Formats: sequence, C-alpha cells, structure tokens
Amino acid sequence: MALDRPPFEDLYRDYLGRIYAYVRAQVGGSADAEDITAQVFMNAYQAYARFEARNTTPAAWLFRIARNATLDHFRAQGRRDRLRRTIERQPVSEEDPAHQAEERIQYRALLAHVAQLPERQRDAISLRHSGLTFDEVGKMLSCSEDAAKMLYHRALKALREVAQKEGA
Amino acid sequence: MSEPDEELELQALQRQLDDAFETTRPRAGFEDELWLRVQSSRPAPSRLRDAFSAFFQGIRAVPAVPAAAVATLLVVVIGVGIVAMSGLGRGGGAGSSATNRNLSAPAAGQLYAGNFGLVPTPVFNNGAKSSTSTQPTLPLGAADYPGSVQLTWAGKFDLTISTAPVFRYREPSTNDADQFATGLGAVLRERPSGFLGSYQASDYTLKVRGTVQSPPSSPAYFIFSSLSMPPVEAAGASPQDLADIFLAQHSLQPQWGYTVVIDSSSDPLKVRYQRQFQAPGYGAAYLVDGNGNRYGLEVDFSDNRPVLASGLLPVSFEQADYRIVSSDQAIHAALAFSGPAPAAPASPLPSVQLNQAELVYVLVPAGNHSFYEPAFLFSGKVQVNGQAYTKHILVPAVDPSQRTP
Repeated sequence: MALDRPPFEDLYRDYLGRIYAYVRAQVGGSADAEDITAQVFMNAYQAYARFEARNTTPAAWLFRIARNATLDHFRAQGRRDRLRRTIERQPVSEEDPAHQAEERIQYRALLAHVAQLPERQRDAISLRHSGLTFDEVGKMLSCSEDAAKMLYHRALKALREVAQKEGA
Repeated sequence: MSEPDEELELQALQRQLDDAFETTRPRAGFEDELWLRVQSSRPAPSRLRDAFSAFFQGIRAVPAVPAAAVATLLVVVIGVGIVAMSGLGRGGGAGSSATNRNLSAPAAGQLYAGNFGLVPTPVFNNGAKSSTSTQPTLPLGAADYPGSVQLTWAGKFDLTISTAPVFRYREPSTNDADQFATGLGAVLRERPSGFLGSYQASDYTLKVRGTVQSPPSSPAYFIFSSLSMPPVEAAGASPQDLADIFLAQHSLQPQWGYTVVIDSSSDPLKVRYQRQFQAPGYGAAYLVDGNGNRYGLEVDFSDNRPVLASGLLPVSFEQADYRIVSSDQAIHAALAFSGPAPAAPASPLPSVQLNQAELVYVLVPAGNHSFYEPAFLFSGKVQVNGQAYTKHILVPAVDPSQRTP
C-alpha cells in the first residue's frame, strides 16, 4: 500500500551516497558513477509508485535498480573499453584539488580494485559493503544466503590478490 | 601464510572496504543538482504525493514547536470545473467581442501587447482531489488527515478592481540562457537533460532551466557554489545585507518588487525575496506556486558563505488587462470545494472558516508562450485531532469567459 512508502525525497537523501559508492565500485570512475547514479534515481522515481514496502526493503529495491543500471551501462559501452577509459582519464568531478585529495583518502584505489573483479564477485562485495544482508545479496544475485556468503568470501580473497598484484 | 594470518588479513580488508564504501560520496553539489533533475522529471501526481508526504512528516517531526504546529494544508481549486458547476461566469458574454469590450486600456508606459485572446486556465496541484476521501492516489491526505472539509467564509473581501493584468513571456531558449550565463561570466559546459545549459564560473556552477510544464515551475537559474566560493565579508551585516551584497557582486539583484523573508531555523540560512506583481488599483500581489507558497529568489548561506542561489530567470513580459471575477464569485468558487458528505455519518467533516483572501499571481505554462495570471488565495485555520493547520484554496481570478475551457 502506498501509505507504507516514505517520501521519495527521504529515500533519495538517505541512499544517494550509498548508491553512488556502489556504482563507483562497479565502474571505477566518478564521472560514470555520477551518470549512472543519476539514472538510478530517475528510474527509481518513475517506478516509485509501484514500490511496495511489504515485498522488499527500500535498500534492496534501490540497489536492484542500481545493479540493472550498471549492467545496462556495461552492455551499452562495452566493459573493457569502459574500464580502460576510466583508468586513463581524470574524472570530470576531480577538477577541485581539495576534492582530489578527498578522493585519495577515500579509498579510490581500493574501489578501483573492486571494479576489476568478475561481475558476481564485484556485486557480492559492493552490495554487502553497501549495507545489504547476505540474504538480500543472495536474492539480488539469484542464489541462496549461504551461496552469497561463499561468493563474498571468494571475492574477498580475489580482491586481496588483485590489491597485492597492483601494489607490487 | 598461515590460516589465522590470512583470516586477519581478510578482516583488515573488510574494514578497509567498510571505510571505502562509507566514505566514498559524490562531489559537493551533485546531490542538489541531481535532485533538481529528478524534480524536473517528476510526474505531477507523484510530486504532489511527496509534497503532502513531506508536509505531514514535517508536522509530526516538530510537535513541540508551537510556530511549526500551524502547518499548511492545501486545497487548490481547478477553477473551470467548479465555476462551471456552480454557475459562475455564465451569461458573461463569452466570446471574443465581449472579451475585447471588457479589456481595460493599459496604463501609460506599460508594455502593452494587446489582447492575448483566451488565456489558458491555471491547472494547480489539484489539492481539491486530496480533500476528498475518494482519491486513494494521494495517500498521506488519506492517512494523516481525512481530507474532506466543510468550508465557510467568515472574512471580509471587498475587491475594488474588475480587471487585472496578465503577463506573457516567450519561452527562453538556449541562446537566452547562454546570454544570461555570459553576463555572469560563466562558460557553457554542457546541456544536461532538463536544463537549457550548465555553465562553469570560477567559483560556482550555474544551471539554467526553462519553464517546467508540470508541475508548473518558472524559468529559473541555480548557482551551486564550489568549495572555493568565499564567504561574504561584511562586519555586522544582516542576512539580507549578505544576500544583497552577493547578488550585487553577481549582478543578480531582482529587477522586480519583493519583500524579504529570512529563514534562520536551520543551516543553511535562507534569504528569500518574494516576488510581487503590481495590479493597478489593488497594489502588490505575490507570485505563488501551486501550493500557495510565495517565491522569487533565494540565497542560502552557511557561515556567511553562499552555498546556493536560485531565482527566476529574467524574461521580457508583454502585459494585457483581463476582466476578473468579483469577490463574491471568487468566494463562491472557493466554498464549492467543500468535501462531499462523509460515508460514515458519525464522523463529521472538519470545519474550516476561510477568513482571508488576497490577489496573487500564478504561473500558467503554455508551450512557447507562458503566462503569469491573477488568482485568489483563500486561507483559514482548521483543527484536526488537536493539530492546527492552515488551509489554502486557490481560485483562478480571470473571468471564465476570457479563459480557455
């Protein structure tokens, strides 16, 4: 029932940062992350009338939209080209030196490593560290809660290897 | 590596990931920029639902603040239907010749472009629907308030004018937006969806938007400060002084009549310049949105640092006088928005005594040329479950014979 829904603006203010971080971990660069985040909330707004809180949490609902938007993005652009571009270029939003410094201390490198993982591992880590439960992660990735835990654990090990390789 | 060591290393990595996801956020300004885009793209019914939702949540959130306890509950009128149902405006000589006869001559010096023909009828937020219990699409109207009210008039409203000016403007183009930005020293960066342009200046981002058809929103500019935007330094200056200085520095002083309202209840502090139109024989009439809220230009400050400025994009007006309904007709139209009889006789409708009325102006988007048209804003107080509200009703002022049906 519509009455269960919080105002969309509340949802927007509460989740914008988390959705952005999730998307950023998927695509690696802030310019693309902004574009996709914008698309996520445009789509979410258009679909909000159909959102039913009794079926899912706002977080799971929003992250599903974010995941779909990210997959669409990769499909449209080609993941390999995207990755190369985001690694090679300075993102638009990093013009401000203060912001650049902020970015550095905000674990940009770590998220860039996450972005290099295979899709499901990337998703498992990003969704989990965006605050979703393993049950929600499993539902999102069409697997059981236990399988989500295992996938996450494997992803963590893979991430450690990537980080070590990059750091070497 | 031993298993315990590996486990410790993975735990450390998890903590780093937690920090990374917790601290990675979009650049400053992105949140508000995107929200504006979302707002621009919003379908009217959902926007209205959110507005009501936020409004009622606001009431719940500040029950201890007496001033905030009197919140605004809005019912807006679609005039044509009601006027038609109530019989108002009939026999008024509808037709272009009659319309022309009733148009008064413009005052000397006015930019008069002659009759605009039938002007479009304002389509407000249609709060009238929210006041009925038969509209489930407006959830919070039904959840937090029964919706329907019984309206009575207990005020004094002697309108001495029979005509009021209607203002028309051409929809601003990307060229107009570019010229405005150039005047401020900002350079075109891109043309994002929903905006005429996005521009970059040394210490802010400027976005310019045209008229939004639904819900009606005036052409506007938005200045988002970057971190390098300096605070306005003026010892002993009032918030309005600060805003005046900032606007003067950027050549953005309002070129229209206004009153200033300061909202210092939260950070950022807001200085609002509420736009007025001059109606000969009546005086200043405020520009209001579909919720009856006055607007014009706003400068937000945080520690004397301007963080956001948003205002009406300058446009050139043509002006023509139109016959307006009498005060009696306006009151009649407003009262026609009493809710239907309740299904359960045991729950009588709340009574609202409307006791104030004023002439206001509302935006009426109409494609290439849009209008600011006169309307009447009625208000009165109502108590519901111990909670005080102010109820507003907007009624179109232009005589129905001079409006499109």
